[in-house]
Amino acid sequence: MAIRELSSLEKYLGLKKPNKYTTQGDRKVPVLQNNNGPPLVGLVTVACHLVKESKRAELLGSSAESRAVVQQWLEYRVTKLDGGSKEDVRTILKELNTYLEDKVYLAGNQFTLADIILYYGTHSLIVDLSVQEREQFLNVTRWFDHIQHMPGVRHHLPPVAVLRNRIYTGRHH
Amino acid sequence: MGFGDLRSSSGLKVLNEFLTERSYVEGFVPSQADVAVFDALSAAPPADLCHALRWYNHIKSYSSQKSSFSPRLYHKFPNMQFSSSITSPNIRELRILFMLFQEDEEATRIKEERLAAYAAKKSKTAVIAKSSILLDKMEECVRSIVMDGLVWGQSKLVPVGYGIKKLQINCVVEDDKVGTDILEEQITAFEDLVQSVDVAAFNKI
Repeated sequence: MAIRELSSLEKYLGLKKPNKYTTQGDRKVPVLQNNNGPPLVGLVTVACHLVKESKRAELLGSSAESRAVVQQWLEYRVTKLDGGSKEDVRTILKELNTYLEDKVYLAGNQFTLADIILYYGTHSLIVDLSVQEREQFLNVTRWFDHIQHMPGVRHHLPPVAVLRNRIYTGRHH
Repeated sequence: MGFGDLRSSSGLKVLNEFLTERSYVEGFVPSQADVAVFDALSAAPPADLCHALRWYNHIKSYSSQKSSFSPRLYHKFPNMQFSSSITSPNIRELRILFMLFQEDEEATRIKEERLAAYAAKKSKTAVIAKSSILLDKMEECVRSIVMDGLVWGQSKLVPVGYGIKKLQINCVVEDDKVGTDILEEQITAFEDLVQSVDVAAFNKI
């Protein structure tokens, strides 16, 4: 799973030579064996390395504050999303929904690696949501639809159809 | 454009509703459509219209890069009620500039307003067209379009600015026989002279 994400990320970044990944442990943590130095372990570590390699450092955030926010969300992905259980899914989505209420991207106004990694991470969750639930977490749905339409991001994941005409509006017309 | 009067709270509500599921006004990247709507707003939307506010702050953060947004694709927004109160000078200018750079020829624009008056037997349309040179030639071509149920009326030249004039021509159209789409198609068939066509006003008689 993580390996497919990393190869999708490579395609998005336009890296010419795909790397060979291995995994370690039960959790299948991806490992990148670097020629020069020690192996890089962990989805976030490898992803950040790939971004720097492709010279797209702006994907990690342009200001100190946005860099910190990106790192925060990358960590969130690994600790909460991958480590969490089924019950946590609702809490996670609720948190994301509140956070995304006033932001277009996770880092505010700029598309970053955090958006990509969290898109990969939440895809399986969003696919399982019913239409009613997707309308409950409207901001997440909006953000998700936006990211999956960005050119080059969605490689190995099927697109999720997001209903444009809302069924449950909670208002009477 | 389709949001109603953006200076009123009802128009802002429509915009907010629209932006609930969308990050941008048109498509998935910022475009001139966003700039147009942004300029039409007199101030930031109130905090209770959270989606409009989110979009507003986002577009604001682009500040200087706004001029490099891609041009808008549609002239009207889907599923929205039509109202021309948003056509502020800014939007027209944006469109004109874009056309100038694209082609240095005459531009004709008829702006289409879809009213429920399509059920009318006879309707009178006033067509606004923009053009810069060889206006007589263009007028001739437009008048040469002959269709059953179509009668051309008087025409006049209206200066638009930047040295451009537009050809505004009236016609009486019987809705059953002639649709504005067909008319538009026939006019834009004169590709060399006509760049685009818009209906300016559409009255029932």
